[in-house]
Amino acid sequence: MTLFTTDDCVLCAQLKKQFDLSAMDVQVEVLGNNDAGALAHLAWHGLVEKARKALPILVLDDSSALHEFGHIESQLLDRAARYGCGVAAKRPGNQAGCESGSCALQ
Amino acid sequence: MGVVMPLNAETAQARTQRVVNEDSTDIALFVRSSQDDMTGWNRQRIVDALLRETFIDRGTAEKISRDIEVTIQAGKVKTITGPLIREMVNAKLLEMGLEEARRMHTRLGVPLYDVDQLLVQHNKENANVPHGPEATNLTLAEGIKKEYALLHVFSPDVADAHLSGDLHLHDLGFIDRPYCSGQSLEYIKKFGLNLPHALSMAKPAKHAEVLLAHMVKFAASLQSHFAGAIGWDAINLFYAPYLEELSDDGVKQLAQMMIYEFSQQAVARGGQAIFSDVNIYWEVPKHFVDVPAIGPGGVYTGKTYGEYEKQAQRFAWALFEVYKEGDAAGRPFFFPKPLVHITEKFFKTDGHMDFLHHICEVASVKGNTYFVFDRGDTAKISECCRLSFKLEASDIEDAKKPWKMRYSALQNVTINLPRLAFKAQGDDTKLFALLTEKIQLAAKAHGQKKKFIERLMSLGKGGPLSLLAMDLDGEPYLKLHRCSYLIGMVGLNELIRVHLGQELHDSDASIKFGLKVIAHMNIVCNKLAESMGMKFVLEQTPAESTSFRFAKLDLAHFNAEAEKVVQGNREKGEVYYSNSTLFNVGATMSPIARVEKEGLFHPLIEAGSITHIWLGEAQPDKEALASFVINVFKYTQNDQIAFSPEFTACLACGKTSRGLSETCPYCESKDVDGITRITGYFTKISSWNKGKLGELHDRYRNIDRFNQ
Repeated sequence: MTLFTTDDCVLCAQLKKQFDLSAMDVQVEVLGNNDAGALAHLAWHGLVEKARKALPILVLDDSSALHEFGHIESQLLDRAARYGCGVAAKRPGNQAGCESGSCALQ
Repeated sequence: MGVVMPLNAETAQARTQRVVNEDSTDIALFVRSSQDDMTGWNRQRIVDALLRETFIDRGTAEKISRDIEVTIQAGKVKTITGPLIREMVNAKLLEMGLEEARRMHTRLGVPLYDVDQLLVQHNKENANVPHGPEATNLTLAEGIKKEYALLHVFSPDVADAHLSGDLHLHDLGFIDRPYCSGQSLEYIKKFGLNLPHALSMAKPAKHAEVLLAHMVKFAASLQSHFAGAIGWDAINLFYAPYLEELSDDGVKQLAQMMIYEFSQQAVARGGQAIFSDVNIYWEVPKHFVDVPAIGPGGVYTGKTYGEYEKQAQRFAWALFEVYKEGDAAGRPFFFPKPLVHITEKFFKTDGHMDFLHHICEVASVKGNTYFVFDRGDTAKISECCRLSFKLEASDIEDAKKPWKMRYSALQNVTINLPRLAFKAQGDDTKLFALLTEKIQLAAKAHGQKKKFIERLMSLGKGGPLSLLAMDLDGEPYLKLHRCSYLIGMVGLNELIRVHLGQELHDSDASIKFGLKVIAHMNIVCNKLAESMGMKFVLEQTPAESTSFRFAKLDLAHFNAEAEKVVQGNREKGEVYYSNSTLFNVGATMSPIARVEKEGLFHPLIEAGSITHIWLGEAQPDKEALASFVINVFKYTQNDQIAFSPEFTACLACGKTSRGLSETCPYCESKDVDGITRITGYFTKISSWNKGKLGELHDRYRNIDRFNQ
């Protein structure tokens, strides 16, 4: 399972705080101006155009992808439960950055 | 240009009087000058030229001129020309270690032998240029401009990188022009044909045929100012207000006139055909729906373009009827290339399936149709072999005044990817470092061309680019500040083969590494764009001759490594690298697998990509192709596809048959020529360069794939 994020994405940051992703065996790919590997991985899954519209994106082990924040969060909650990982309290509604377009691949 | 006369020619002897006096300052020798006359010998001219053109001091210039005078006297030369004197001076400069002065004083020109060859033999660098006097003029002028560019526009490191084959600066012979242009018909609908230096000015057209005449003339003018493609956006929509009074036959007649006018321009112009592209929509694109329509006479019709959907569809349909018929001999039209945009709205527009079948039938029968996929909210204008300009927010704003919509790429620089792998010797870090270095060099080349074009543009309406400086809508026609700078690639497949020992189609690991290479290029382009304030974007290089040139140079300079990976037939010299990010053309892959896998690269290549499906003599049914196109749109990331059949045109009986044959199946004549796509357009195979001939031989034809 891979979570595609960017450094300045508010929603991505929220997920990273909420979940212990490495303990849940979720690979985090940070898309930006320095990691060709992450961008190539995104392209391999055919998700570049989707990422230009919105991040985060969660790619499941069967290679299907989730784009809706609610679905991603729900999937991660399930996984956290299966892995026996704790979940941090969620900060209330914090999506202003996404409205400004920062939650997307630039 | 100076004239070189044979030493033993009687006329030369008769007209050239040479009196050698004792006084070396007064040689009565006539010099054939570059200004088409004969002037008396005067060594001061050497001094003047050296002081004017170089930075050497007067004393040195005087000394050189005296030395040259002595040499000429001693040599008892019978005929002397301006170029000869210049060559002698240049040799002297080198002898004195003044290399920079020699460079500045150099003379651009073409050896007599080369001109002799050029006048007779077909230059196949660009299959789109016919052989004839106008074309040889073009080649000769290009030769000089190319030398000029490498000496005077680009820095030595950039020029050396081009000459050695590390990268390729495209269209050096057109150094004083931008690369390509995409625009809207609305410009001439609104302003008429009002071009600088024209002997007459035409008001906005009142009739469809006149609008067509304006369009073709404007396109020809633009082709004289751009090196590459001239594209037109939403052509069927912008014609629509002129079609209301026309019957269906009248609309078809107009479509026929348009296609013939553009396709026959190659002969009419003598030089390169107008590399024309027409963007076609079945629906009215969202950004034009509410835009007030301009009709006959340049007057607003009182309707919006959204209300012209049916007229636009009539024209689109008629254009493809003409494409389906082909020319008088049943051959496919080479230009204008029809690019149909497949969008989300396309599938919501009435009649789309009938139209899709119609254009798929054309794709199968004649191959003309290009399917351009604009998924989601993407809107773009496409042209050239695969180039596209994605419309940004400012462009969508311009769409409210569509005559303002024009897009240009200033230059294209392509990187030789296999060579990087030769040098990296399997080391990833080294490979990516070398790649970065070459992209930086390409960006530097772009900066130098930009500076040069800016200088020409600054001369405004009195300068050589007056057409591009015209500002009928308040802005120069060439919007320099919005130009793109293309960075292309050749031979990703061979890079992978050198670096990993496998080709792209061999494994997922190969594709993943290939994606990393292109992602790295994308990222470096973005960084450079930010730091240099120029829009660097990746494009799949068409590489009609570049893939041949790189392969040939690598065989010469990296023979041990190159001979293992160069494609084609080395014995015949028909060698090439795979174009851009394309997979091996000969790989046995299903068409959908090729489209899907090659398409993974396309979102990283923002200025355009394409996948070719070579049909050979196969002629799939329209339903099968339509279903294929829908699947490509829905389930892949592919940017654009084209189906390429092959034809044999008989020059004896004039008939056209399917597939490539050595003899005509109708009259058995051997006087035949093949026709198919070379890289992004149809041409006669007899005009192809050796590299492309090698590729043609290797192409995997999807003969039965669509019937399974």
